[in-house]
Amino acid sequence: MKTNTNIITVHGLKKYYGSGPRQVKALDGIDLTIKQGEFTAITGASGSGKTTLLNMMGGLDVPTEGEVIVDGIDLSRLREEQLAVFRRKKVGFIFQNYNLVPTLTVEENILFPLDLDGAAPDMRYLEEIIELLGLPDKLNAYPEALSGGQQQRTAIARALAAKPAILLADEPTGNLDSQNSQNVAGLLKMTTKLFHRTLVMITHNPELAQLADTVVKMKDGRIV
Amino acid sequence: MLQNNNLKICRKLVRRELQFHKGQCLLLVTAVTLVCMLYTFSFAMGSHVYDGFLYSYRLMYGSGSHIICYDLSTEQAALLESHNAVKDTVLLSPIGTLSDEMLGNRNVKLAEFSEKWARETDSVPLYGQAPAEEDEIALDEITLNSLLIPHEIGAEVFLTWVPEGGGEERAGVFRLCGWWKNNTGETDSCAWITKEAAEELGGGTPEHKTLGLTLYLPGDPERQAKDLFSDTGIQNITYTTNLAGNRARMAYAGGKAMEFYRLNLIVVLCGILMLYTILRLSDRRNIQFYAGVKALGMTPRQIRVLAVYRAAALCLPGLLPGWILGFSLCALLAPYVVVGLGANPALFFFRLWPFGLGALLTWLTVLTACLLPIRSVAKYTPAEAMRFTGGNTKIKTMRSMAGRSKTKNRGLRRTTIRRMAFTELSRHKGQSLLAALSLLLSLIILCCVWTKGVSYDEEKYLEGAALCDYRLSDPSAAADTQRYNPKSRSIAPEIPETLSGHPAVENIGIVCTMEVPMYAGAQERAPIIETFEETDERGVIRKEYMADAPDWIAGYEKMRESGEYIGIVTGVDKLALEKAVTQNIFIEGTFSEEDFDTGKYVIASGAASLLKTTPPAGTKVMICGREFEIMACVLFESSLASGADSRQAQFNVTYYVPIGVFEELFPEHGIRNVLIDIDRSRQDEFEAFLADTLRGTEIHITSVRDHQLNFRNALFRICMIPLFVGGVMLVIGTLNFTNVLMMGILVRKRDFAVYESLGMTKRQLGKLLLWEGLSCFGIMTGLLVPGVAAAVWLWGKWQLAHMNTWCVTWRFSLLPLWISLPVLLIIALAVPLYFMKFVTKESVTERLRSAE
Repeated sequence: MKTNTNIITVHGLKKYYGSGPRQVKALDGIDLTIKQGEFTAITGASGSGKTTLLNMMGGLDVPTEGEVIVDGIDLSRLREEQLAVFRRKKVGFIFQNYNLVPTLTVEENILFPLDLDGAAPDMRYLEEIIELLGLPDKLNAYPEALSGGQQQRTAIARALAAKPAILLADEPTGNLDSQNSQNVAGLLKMTTKLFHRTLVMITHNPELAQLADTVVKMKDGRIV
Repeated sequence: MLQNNNLKICRKLVRRELQFHKGQCLLLVTAVTLVCMLYTFSFAMGSHVYDGFLYSYRLMYGSGSHIICYDLSTEQAALLESHNAVKDTVLLSPIGTLSDEMLGNRNVKLAEFSEKWARETDSVPLYGQAPAEEDEIALDEITLNSLLIPHEIGAEVFLTWVPEGGGEERAGVFRLCGWWKNNTGETDSCAWITKEAAEELGGGTPEHKTLGLTLYLPGDPERQAKDLFSDTGIQNITYTTNLAGNRARMAYAGGKAMEFYRLNLIVVLCGILMLYTILRLSDRRNIQFYAGVKALGMTPRQIRVLAVYRAAALCLPGLLPGWILGFSLCALLAPYVVVGLGANPALFFFRLWPFGLGALLTWLTVLTACLLPIRSVAKYTPAEAMRFTGGNTKIKTMRSMAGRSKTKNRGLRRTTIRRMAFTELSRHKGQSLLAALSLLLSLIILCCVWTKGVSYDEEKYLEGAALCDYRLSDPSAAADTQRYNPKSRSIAPEIPETLSGHPAVENIGIVCTMEVPMYAGAQERAPIIETFEETDERGVIRKEYMADAPDWIAGYEKMRESGEYIGIVTGVDKLALEKAVTQNIFIEGTFSEEDFDTGKYVIASGAASLLKTTPPAGTKVMICGREFEIMACVLFESSLASGADSRQAQFNVTYYVPIGVFEELFPEHGIRNVLIDIDRSRQDEFEAFLADTLRGTEIHITSVRDHQLNFRNALFRICMIPLFVGGVMLVIGTLNFTNVLMMGILVRKRDFAVYESLGMTKRQLGKLLLWEGLSCFGIMTGLLVPGVAAAVWLWGKWQLAHMNTWCVTWRFSLLPLWISLPVLLIIALAVPLYFMKFVTKESVTERLRSAE
């Protein structure tokens, strides 16, 4: 269910490291809007600024200049404490290395953002996700006992659990073989469609990028 | 909307962490136990030292009361008793003060037995019982010995006393019904009689009650006493306040206790360092964990609470064993620090607060250590923290990487195992430096304390502190305050004879004294008067230093005006003579044993200064009608005789004469002291023989063992705190060193897999790690040996310049360093080999995959 509402607005975004001749311009004036319910793929070579841009959208990093507005919230106005709550409520992250808490079971990992919030889980919704991602028989397992694909599916379930406004996926298939990559990408697209989520995904894989509604190509910190 | 901090999840995460990382948690709990032990120990020991000082002041004061008021009427006593600041009172109703000259300066009150007073002043008869019949009396041992009363129930006791408030001396005969041992430093005591006897003997004398007051608030009894008298309108009251409540003494005791409390500053630092060192073992995992949960939306507050819960979870299991160990250690060491108590000070002065405070500080220490890794993550944004994936535990950011673009092209160089080992060492510079510094500091402390400890020379100390190995004293001269009774025959002449027959005895001598009235002519007394009337360099007339000793002043004035004074004729032989001429400093004349043995000469000894306080050498003096010539004048450095002399003899001149001459002058004399030197290798054998010989007598023994014990206790007290600090720091330094070696292997699981995949054999890998361990040890040794040696040498020079300790023989020793180096070498070789096995358990492919 796409709408014409902009869920993410990035304006004049810059991220510089260092100064003088050794300065690295990770992002150099990005302007971008992403509509609600849209699947956006960000592609580009290594060091083009994809991950930096994604981190800025998710409130994981702070820009040198410019603004990021997500679901009407200007991230530059948030304090550290508020940014953390923003991430847990508004953003679902899917990392390349899964970032599962190794001391929690699959079920506890999925519920982790809700537990952080003290919010009651929507059990029917969660059961639906778990079923869809093929995790019902893995709920009591710890991450170390799972394959890469299963870990990534757990991460997707966790990202969806808190019903976030946006899903940010940083090369979610980077550690998976081609079969698993297709499966995970398909699942991502299906779940976002099914649960009306906005998905921004970084990928090097042109086949996966083709699944997106919009493809953003980056080079040297700029959108090309 | 953006506000929420659910904390339940923190508990779950901590619980799981404990379950998942049992090994590390066990190590942390052990460290917490150690920290809690140190806190409990130092607080408990400090409190025991403080209480020990106050207790000794209380013993010196002779009563547990905060204030003692004298010469009160019944009404005044009742007024004070009813004051709301007074918690409890003890009342003594003396009828007089014992007046026998042999009691010297002691103040013994003849009074109706008061059990409450007796308990408060430790004067409850322990042998026999309290008086029950009208003619019964109970006395303390010093009084019995001074008055030569046998320690036998029913023994006849003849006493004279002056009624309270003055009047004619009275006398009475009693039967001894009981006695008690008292503190030899005490000058006040009681002679207990029954109420009926007191009424009969004291009839007609005005009331002179003595009231001991225990206050609700023990602080500042001096001020409280003034308030009490002002509130009750009682004026011109004689009172004393307990020494244990004296501000200056309390401050002194507090200062002594502070030496132990200060140890806690080191414990805080060492504890944090130790726990942090263990936490650093999982630094990489911690950073990844905190970065991960931060990225998922855990707020900084939730992360802090997580650390608080983690600290509590690690603390709780460590507290009880920490308390037990700390208290046990205190119970083990306290008898060497708080000496002369009889009971174990840890039990005698048991208090709960050191445990509570120890637990609180332990928790704060653990919390600080747990917050440190969080602080290092908090500095970075989640994106920066998550970028950390390398083997080095330092978070690398784009910011820091931005400045490292320059590399030097050195051309192609072949890689050798040794070069790889050295390159690896440079990757852990920070932690290696921390390990090196903590080892260096701990070994400097330990070697300095060790050098100090071995430099204190027991032989030198004993030579200076103990007149001889054993000194036997007549019971009437056992205490410093006790006047020697020359009628006493407790040391029978057979005793020194028997003792001299023992093969361990190297030398023995006896000391006999007699006070005799003497006369100094104008010429003879002139130099003495000149000395005491002269103004010294501080502008004080010398005799004014004795203003607080009225008996001395009276004796001096008598000598100045009339030439009459008291001479203490001291008969000495063999060891006693040797001590008299070697322990004292000659001011005038020289000693000739041959001349001295002729019996025509005496050695005069005066006051303790390098001034003339005796008639000059060459002067003829008459002793009991016999003329002697003063052969030499010596400085009164250390007294051969124990106990005190009469009040009239406070101002005196001592004349040493051969024992044969003394016997001729005073055929019915007693022996005041026997001095004995032995072969110390046969000390135990001699002591058993001595105990056998003296069985059944009240003869007092001052043993070299007491001095040895004093010396060793003092040495222990001096060295204990720095030894503790150095020991704890050494443990931390060794842990850090182990950690450096361990980290260097554990974080390179993937590197080793890569090396192996490129063809490196396990043997070559082992060689590489051994080289790394050896290189690390080599660098440490290169730093530690010159660093510690130089520091100890410089410290020793400084100590020699600033320490004026007569019993020190400088001995430079680095023993703790020489013991530590082989231990470090073993660790340097064993740790890499052990952990290599651990990280190469899986196949190369498994390791490469798991590292990803």
